[in-house]
Amino acid sequence: MFEGNVLLLIAVLWPMCGALIGYCIGRRSKTARDYFADAVGVTELALLAGLLLGVVRGAEYTLHVAYLIERGLHFRLDGFRALYGCIAAFMWMMTTIYSRDYLSHYRNRNRYYLFTLLTCGATVGVFLSADLFTTFLFFEIMSLTSYVMVIHDEKPGAMRAGQTYLAVALLGGMVLLGGMFLLEHLTGTLDMELLLPACRQVTDRRGLYLAGSMLLFGFAAKAGMYPLHIWLPKAHPVAPAPASALLSGILTKAGVFGVLVVSCNLFLHDPAWGTAILAFGTVTMLLGAVIAVFSIDLKRTLACSSMSQIGFILVGVGMQGLLGEENALAVWGTELHMVNHSLIKLALFMAAGVVYQNLHKLDLNDIRGFGRGKPMLLFVFLMGYLGIIGMPFWNGYVSKTLLHESIVEYIALLEETGRPAGAFHALEWIFLFSGGLTAAYMTKLLVAVFVEKHPTEQKRMDAMNRKYMRPASVFALGGAAVLLPLLGFFPDTWMGPAARLGQSFLHGSAPAHAVVWFSWTNLRGALISLGIGAAVYIGVIRTIFFREGRYVSLWPAWLDLEDSLYRPVLRAGVFVLALLCRLISMLPTWFIRLLRVSVLRPVRRPAARETPDPLNARAPEVLKNVTGSLSFGMLLFGAGFCALLLYLFVVLLIS
Amino acid sequence: MRQDLSLLLPILLPVAGGILVALLPAMDRERTRQRFVAAILAVTAVLAVSRMWGGDHALILSVTDIVAVQFKVDDLSRLFSGLIVLMWLLSGVFSFSYMHHETGHRQYYCFFLISQGALLGLAYAGNYITLYLCFEWMTLMTTPLVLHSATREANRAAGQYLLYSVAGASLGLLGIPLLLRYGVTLTFTPGGVLDPAALAGHENVVRFFSCLVLLGFGAKAGLYPLFAWLPAAHPVAPAPASAVLSGVITKAGVLAILRVLYYAIGPELLAGTWVQYLLLWVALCTVLMGSTLALKEKLLKKRLAYSTVSQVSYILFGLFLLDKTAMTGALIHVAAHSVCKNALFLSAGAIIFQTGKTEAGQLRGLGKEMPVVFWCFALAALGLIGIPPFFGFLSKWYLCLGALESGLPLLSWLGPVILIVSALLTAAYLLPIVVQGFFPGPDFQYKAVVKRDPDMLMRVPLLLLAAATAFTVAPGPLTGMLRGIVSSVFGSGGGV
Repeated sequence: MFEGNVLLLIAVLWPMCGALIGYCIGRRSKTARDYFADAVGVTELALLAGLLLGVVRGAEYTLHVAYLIERGLHFRLDGFRALYGCIAAFMWMMTTIYSRDYLSHYRNRNRYYLFTLLTCGATVGVFLSADLFTTFLFFEIMSLTSYVMVIHDEKPGAMRAGQTYLAVALLGGMVLLGGMFLLEHLTGTLDMELLLPACRQVTDRRGLYLAGSMLLFGFAAKAGMYPLHIWLPKAHPVAPAPASALLSGILTKAGVFGVLVVSCNLFLHDPAWGTAILAFGTVTMLLGAVIAVFSIDLKRTLACSSMSQIGFILVGVGMQGLLGEENALAVWGTELHMVNHSLIKLALFMAAGVVYQNLHKLDLNDIRGFGRGKPMLLFVFLMGYLGIIGMPFWNGYVSKTLLHESIVEYIALLEETGRPAGAFHALEWIFLFSGGLTAAYMTKLLVAVFVEKHPTEQKRMDAMNRKYMRPASVFALGGAAVLLPLLGFFPDTWMGPAARLGQSFLHGSAPAHAVVWFSWTNLRGALISLGIGAAVYIGVIRTIFFREGRYVSLWPAWLDLEDSLYRPVLRAGVFVLALLCRLISMLPTWFIRLLRVSVLRPVRRPAARETPDPLNARAPEVLKNVTGSLSFGMLLFGAGFCALLLYLFVVLLIS
Repeated sequence: MRQDLSLLLPILLPVAGGILVALLPAMDRERTRQRFVAAILAVTAVLAVSRMWGGDHALILSVTDIVAVQFKVDDLSRLFSGLIVLMWLLSGVFSFSYMHHETGHRQYYCFFLISQGALLGLAYAGNYITLYLCFEWMTLMTTPLVLHSATREANRAAGQYLLYSVAGASLGLLGIPLLLRYGVTLTFTPGGVLDPAALAGHENVVRFFSCLVLLGFGAKAGLYPLFAWLPAAHPVAPAPASAVLSGVITKAGVLAILRVLYYAIGPELLAGTWVQYLLLWVALCTVLMGSTLALKEKLLKKRLAYSTVSQVSYILFGLFLLDKTAMTGALIHVAAHSVCKNALFLSAGAIIFQTGKTEAGQLRGLGKEMPVVFWCFALAALGLIGIPPFFGFLSKWYLCLGALESGLPLLSWLGPVILIVSALLTAAYLLPIVVQGFFPGPDFQYKAVVKRDPDMLMRVPLLLLAAATAFTVAPGPLTGMLRGIVSSVFGSGGGV
C-alpha cells in the first residue's frame, strides 16, 4: 500500500491526529492541552526539519499511498517542498505557543486548537503533494478547517467576513476542481512531474489555457489575487492574531504554491501566460498597497499589506514566464519573497496581537502610544518593519532586489532585441512605487503605535509596560523577529542556498553570475523606494490622512468590490435563477390543474362522504381525493398487478 | 442456472413480519414489537448480505410462456439490496425511539417491513414483468408511510405520491409490449435484449417509447416533470420513513431506469440520438431546479427533499450519458446519496424529535445542545456537497470526467459546469445550517445550554451513517464491484 518514505504521510497525519488527541485531552485539562499542542508543533517542526536536512544532503523522498480516495495519494519532498513544509511547521509552532496567552480569555478554545492543528496537517499536505489530486484534497480540507479559525470569536463582523471567506474558498475550490477535470481530460495525468511533458504535447491550446485559468482561479482565490482578494482584507482583521498570522503568512502561500505549480508546469516559459499573471500581480501589488495606505486599522493595514506582497510575488511569477530560459533571478526572487513574507508577517501579526490582547482595539486612533516604553514589542515590530519595507541588511531587501533585477533584466533584454520596453519601464516604476507605499503605511503604523502619545489614555497604557506579554509570547515573538535580520545580514549563507534548494521545483537554473547583494545598482532601487515612501508619508499621510490630531479613513465605501458588485450580482443571479426554476417546476402542476378542470373533472358524490367508512377511518380524505379521478383507476390497475404477483407466488409454492 | 427457492426468503420474510406485526395483538407491547422488528430487519440483512458472494442465482416462476416472474442476483442487485437492508436496519432502529411521539406504531412497522420486501423484490427482479410488479407493489406499500400522520397535508401528499407514481409506472408499463415486439426476451441481459432484425426500420418508434418509459420510471427518482410528489411527501412522513423514501425509494426509480436502459433497451440504440439529449437536458434542469428551490425553501425537511430531487438527477445524468466512467460515477452516487441523505434526514428527525423545530432558520446554537447530531449533519452535508475526502466527491469526480469523455457537443462541458454550480448551491443551502448551529455568536447564552442529544437508539444509526460518509477514503471494494457492472453492460469493447 505504501511505496516510498512513510514519514511524509506521518508529517501530514501527525498534526491531524494530534488535533483529535488534543481535543480529547482538552476536555479534561486545558493546561495539558496547551502543552500538548505545543509538543505537536515542536515535533512536527523537528520531523520536517530532519527531512529538510536529508534533502539538503541530496536525498529526495517520494511516497505513493495506493487505494486512498480511489486514485491514491502522491507525495514528494524536494527542496522547495521541504523548505515550505518546514516554514509551515515553524509558523504553526510559534503561533501555537503564542495562542496560549492570546486566547486565554476566549471561549471555545478547544475548538480553536482542534481546527488549527487540522489546518496545519492539511497545509503541510498541500505543500508535500506531488499530484494535483492530492493538492486539491488537502486544499479543500484546509479551506474548510481554516474557516473555523477565521470566525473564532463569532461576532457579527467575523461571521460576515467568514461568510465571504467560505464563499470564495468554496467557489475557488469548485472552479479548481473543474480545471482539474479539464486538465485530466486533456493530458490524462495530474502528476506534477508528468504534467510538463504532457502539456507540451497538448494540441488543444485553448482548452489548456482554459484549464490553466480555472486552476489559477482556484489557487489565486486563496492567494488573494485581484479580483478575488475580497476576503483577505476582511478575514484577517477579525480572526484571532495567531490565526491571522497563519492565514496571511502560510495559507495564502498554499495558494501561491498552486499558482507556481500551474505556471511552472502547464505553462513553463510561456510569455502569454506570464503577461497575464504579471498584469494581475501588478494590480494586486499596487491596489493592496494603496488600500493599506488608506486604512486606519492596524490588522487591516497588515492584511492589505499581505495582499500587496502577494502581488510582488505574482509579479515574480509573471516575470518567470516572460524571461523564459533566463529567469533565474525571477525564480530566486519569487521563492525568497514567499519565504520572507511568511516570516515577516508572522512577527508583525503576532505583534499586532499583543496590542489587541491588551487593548481589545485595533483602530490606530485608539491604540496610539501603546508601544511607548515597551522595548520588546518595539524590537519585534521594528524587525518586521525593516524587513517588509526592504531596508538593506534585512531579509525583505534581498528578495525585492531580486524581483526588481528581474524586471530590469527583461527591459535590457527587450532593448537589446529592439522591442519597445515602455510598458516595462512603467512596471519598474509601479514596482518601486508600491515598495514606497509599503514603507509609507508601515511607517504610519510604527509612528502611531510607538512614537505618538495617546491624547487621553497614555497613563493606562504606560501602566501595562512590564506586564503586557508573558514568557511564552516573548519567546514566540522574539524567535520570529530575530530570524529576519539574521537572514538579511548574511544572504549568502541563508538566502542563496535556500533559493538554490527550491529552484528545481520552479524549473529554474542558478543565476549565470553570482549575485552581489549590496552592489550600488541594487541599493539604488531600495533607496528610491524608501525615498518615495518618505515622500508619501510626509506629503500624503501626515497631511491628508491626519487631520485635527486624528487618523481619518478616506477610502470610499462604494469602492468595496464585494459590497458594491459581487454581492448584488450574486443576489440578482440567484433571484433570476430561482424565478426561472419556480416557473419550470410549476409547469407540470399547472398542466395537471388544467386537466382537472377540463377533461378529468372529479365526480362529486356528497352522499358517500356523510358516513365515513370504518375501514378507512384514518384516511377518509385521501379516498375522497382519489375516488372518481384518474388516479383511482390507476390505483386499481396497480393493485391488480400486485394481486397477480401474490397469485404467482402461491402457484409456485403449490407446484 | 438452477432454481434457487431460497431467493424468495429475503423478499417474503419482511412481508410476513409486517403482516404479523399488523395482526398479532402482542405487538402492542413496545418491547416485544421492537425486538420482533429488529430481529426481522437483522435476519433480512443477513440473508441479503449472504447473497453478496457466490455466483448468480435465479428463480423463475412461469405462468405462461410470456408472463413469468423471475428473480436473479447479479452485481447490480447486490449493490441495491445491500443499500436497502443497511438503510432499513439503521432507519428501523432509529424509528424505535423516534416513533415515541407518533401513534399507530403497528401500522407503521407493518408497512415499513412490507415495503422493504417489495424493494428487495425490485432489487432481485430478473425480468421486466417482475420489475414492473414489484414497482407497483412498492408504491402501494409505501403510501401508508407518507399517509401516516393522517393530517390534511399528509392526505394530500399521499394522494400526490400515488398519482405521480402510478402515472409514472403506467408509462413504464409500455415497455412490456415494446420488448415483446422488438426484443428477444423480457429477461434483463447486460447490454440490452433488442432484436436487430425486428428493430430494423422501427428505431424511432422504439426510441420514442423508451423515452416515455424512462421518463415514467423517472417519476420515482424525482425526475422532471413528475417530481412534485417528492417535496410534498417527505416533510409529512415520519423522519425515518422520509429517510428511506429519499435515500432508497428514489433509488428504486434509478434501478428501474438502469435495468431498462442498460439491461433491456441497451445503450447503443439511444447513444447520440435526440432521446439521449432530451433526457440529459431534463436531468440537468432537474439538478439545477432542485438545488435552487432547496436554497429558497425554509422548511428543513422540504429543503432536504428538494435536495434529493437535485441529487438523484446527478445519478440520472450520469446514466443518460451512456459512458463507462459516468456510469461508474452514477453508481457511486447511488451509494453516496443514500448514505448522506439518510444521515441528513435522520439528523433532521432527531432535531424535530428533541426540539420540535422544523425550520432551517430556527437552529441557531443547536450544535451546542446536540453536538453529536450536528456533527453527523455536518459530515453528511460535506459529503453531499462533495468536499473531499467525503463520499460525494468521488461520484462527482467520475460523473464530470465521464461527461467530458462522452464528447457530446455542448453537454460535455455544460454538464460539469451545472454539476459544479449545483454543488455550490448545495453548500449554500446546507452549510448555513451547520454554521448557525455551531457558531451561535458571542451573545449566545451558554449557561442556558441543555445537552439534548437523543438516546442511543437514535445516536448509533446516525453515527454509523456519518462514519460511512468517509467511506471514500478506501472505496476499493465498492468501486471494484461497480467496474464489474459497468464492463458487463458495455461489453469489453470500450464505451459507446
